[in-house]
Amino acid sequence: MTAETATTAAPRALARQRRRAATARFWREYRTHRAGLFGLAALVLFALVALTAPLTVGSDVQSVTDAPGKPLESPSLHFPLGTDQFGRNLLGLVVWGSRVSLLVGLLAAVLSVAIGALIGVTAGHFRGWYATVIMRITDWFLVMPTLVLAIALATVMSRSLGTIILAIGVTTWPTTARLVRAQTLAVESRPYIERAKALGGGHWHIMSRHVVPNVMPLVLAQTTLIISTAILAEATLAFLGLGDPTIVSWGGLLQDAREAGAVSSGDWWYLVPPGIAIAIVALAFTLCGRAVESVLNPRLGVSR
Amino acid sequence: MSTHNEHGSGRRSPGRSPRTYRFLAAALTLSAAVATSLAPAPQQAVAKDKTVLTVAVAQSVDSLSPFLASRLVSTSIHRLTYEYLTNYDPKDAHVIPGLATKWESSPDKLTWTYTIRSNSKWSDGKQVTAEDAAWTFNKMMSDEGAATANGSFVTNFEKVTAPSATKLVIELKKPQATMTALDVPIVPKHVWESVKDFSKFNNDKSFPIVGDGPFVLTDYKPDSYVRLKPNKSFWRGAPKFDELVFRYYKDQDAAVAALRKGEVSFVAGSPSLTPAQAASLKGDKNIHVNEGPGRRFYAIATNPGAQAKDGSKFGDGDPSLLDERVRHALFMAVDRKAVIDKVFQGHAVEGKGYIPPRFSTYFWQPTAGQELAYDPAAAGRLLDQAGYKKNADGKRVGKNGKPLNYRVLCHATDPNDKAVGKYLQEWWGKLGIGVTLNCLDNVTDPWLAGTYDLAFDGWSVNPDPDFVLSIHTCGALPATPKDTGATDNFICDKEYDDLYARQLAEYDPAKRADLVKQLESRLYDLGYMNVMAYPNAVEAYRTDQIKSITTMPSAAGNIYGQDGYWSWWSAVPANSGDSSGESTSTGVIIGIVAGVVVLVGLAVVFAMRRRVTAEDRE
Repeated sequence: MTAETATTAAPRALARQRRRAATARFWREYRTHRAGLFGLAALVLFALVALTAPLTVGSDVQSVTDAPGKPLESPSLHFPLGTDQFGRNLLGLVVWGSRVSLLVGLLAAVLSVAIGALIGVTAGHFRGWYATVIMRITDWFLVMPTLVLAIALATVMSRSLGTIILAIGVTTWPTTARLVRAQTLAVESRPYIERAKALGGGHWHIMSRHVVPNVMPLVLAQTTLIISTAILAEATLAFLGLGDPTIVSWGGLLQDAREAGAVSSGDWWYLVPPGIAIAIVALAFTLCGRAVESVLNPRLGVSR
Repeated sequence: MSTHNEHGSGRRSPGRSPRTYRFLAAALTLSAAVATSLAPAPQQAVAKDKTVLTVAVAQSVDSLSPFLASRLVSTSIHRLTYEYLTNYDPKDAHVIPGLATKWESSPDKLTWTYTIRSNSKWSDGKQVTAEDAAWTFNKMMSDEGAATANGSFVTNFEKVTAPSATKLVIELKKPQATMTALDVPIVPKHVWESVKDFSKFNNDKSFPIVGDGPFVLTDYKPDSYVRLKPNKSFWRGAPKFDELVFRYYKDQDAAVAALRKGEVSFVAGSPSLTPAQAASLKGDKNIHVNEGPGRRFYAIATNPGAQAKDGSKFGDGDPSLLDERVRHALFMAVDRKAVIDKVFQGHAVEGKGYIPPRFSTYFWQPTAGQELAYDPAAAGRLLDQAGYKKNADGKRVGKNGKPLNYRVLCHATDPNDKAVGKYLQEWWGKLGIGVTLNCLDNVTDPWLAGTYDLAFDGWSVNPDPDFVLSIHTCGALPATPKDTGATDNFICDKEYDDLYARQLAEYDPAKRADLVKQLESRLYDLGYMNVMAYPNAVEAYRTDQIKSITTMPSAAGNIYGQDGYWSWWSAVPANSGDSSGESTSTGVIIGIVAGVVVLVGLAVVFAMRRRVTAEDRE
């Protein structure tokens, strides 16, 4: 009886209930992936470190004029990870740098996936000459070496975080576009889409109500995977000296280390911490992405 | 990294080598390291019976034609392959005979007569005569393409003749004090006569290149190597090494690693080794780190409002910088001592006047009353006086009501620029002035267009300071905004120009030095060129490959980029240079064996996997 009233009286409540159940099911499934849990734990840890950085290390850590130590001190009790060429505390810098690296990784991934999803859904939905043109453009971007294109973009534009985000975003979208288009085609071939059309559903209705919710899981998984690519790309661009030199990021720290000659003089503490941080975060996002993917994609789930 | 200009004096600024592709080089460091460790193996094997001096360089050769080359690496090679009229003594840089054995000026100061030595031969066996020198100068005077690099030397020449094989006569329009410092490579007339277009000919097609210097250029591959052989019949004596090679390492860490392994004998760094590299190399027993006073100054240049000779203004330099008080205040907020201690970590000398203390004749320092000492509080007061008061947010406001924010042009390839930039941001931030650090691989475009407020600047200074002084005269401004002038940063000051003309016409060394010091004083007061430091030359060489080498000045000086060919000409090979060669070739063998093992392993794994899947299929 209660279920009946719920169905008739409160469709919203029912939807909420259904979503709650879906989330719970998702989490139950997700928990079975140990690697995914490890990735999630690492991410939560890094997110906490990044968010609390203003409280723990403070923005003063970037100051060169008030640097507490001597240049390139090796690790000690006072400076657990040693100091950089200006005598700044490297532990503090790595913590502070996580903010930029994570921010750029997230924003660039969101931008990339947004572009990819938009192009994929429209190309899958409209077909015809529009899809042909759009997909040829996608192919062109797909065969372009991403790093070279990003370097070219970052070189011609001014050096800022926005540039880096844009450069990564506009060069990594083609795979997402291809994936989303394939999923869109699969969804649109189902009978209920035909029914929706017969009932007078327009392009906008079909795309927003039926296609997008169905490709969302894929987009979500793709986002998590692209974040790790984006973080690596940001570090690469900063390492190649294309980032804003006044902003502390992990890639930027590696670039500083290289320019200070830390590689050939064996000052490992300048190179290793940012490198490991990049590796762990990229790995964590990949693990999470894989876990999400296998939970959401039934075919992958069965095969495992 | 300095792009060396007309006099072989280098400009770090507009014309500096962009090295745009450095990032690619950096990206390929790994593969490059593999390639470079493989490359020297055959050469080291040959090294058993011949001694090779390998120098790691990073700067690309702009041209091998002496009429076009202006970068340090190219002009250094020309020093080695062509004799100049005069040379500088390695001890104290006073002028000594080169191709000319003696010289004298007429009483009216307008005619100079040089006696050309008769014991010098071109590498193809022909005699070097005064006719070659006269032809070289005449070509530069008559052909605009040939005047590209060294044209400024001959603008004041009226006529150049060679009455006999050993006599060169130069007639001047006006007296010129730099006549014993004509840093122009003299080329063989019989080879260069056939060149059609001097602005295009790069002298890099037919080897060996005919020259009369201590070395003969025998091979060159862009951004790969430059190979030179000693000139056995060189009049001052043949060099001791059997071969001199400039090998390219675009990444300084790779060059240092190559030095450690013995693949190169010498690393100068660009512009010098970093403090960390120097410190770690000092611990190596076969490596000597050489530190000497540098030829360069390192400054902050201020855009005085870009202008051309025709009077038209261009660019968009901040108008507040036209106020001398603002320029002084900015420099007073720069802690030069911190720059030396923190950025250069002691490998530099605090900046005073325009010319580095290494050139003691012309070194000048501000008087106590004149000096813009580090005093942020006074700087703040000066800005208040000038009318740039702080607003509620603590930011100084310009005359247009907007907060002051200066764009500082910096070289992305120079770590020091970025490091000092970070300090400037904080020092000037405390004054209430914002700083946007604009680091570019190639600063030439905004520099020439005048679209900057402040910029990091630096030049290598020659024993004769005429050139670095000339770049701040009104005469050096571009003819129109579209042209490129010799000017450094568009300074044009009447008082400075008068002093400059007087020193150029002064033949008495003491009086001329006094005028040059007055020039430096004027430049200091103007506040357009604020010298922060004189960076030292920090370089390293292997003592098991080079037994001894002459520095300049010989007491404590530099090796790479000298005013003369002394270092490479004088270098004596060490006897025990072979052990390192063997170690590298064993390293290569181990590498190859490891590579083969990995490949075989992979092949086995794949084969097994194929078999497994094949079985599964069945």
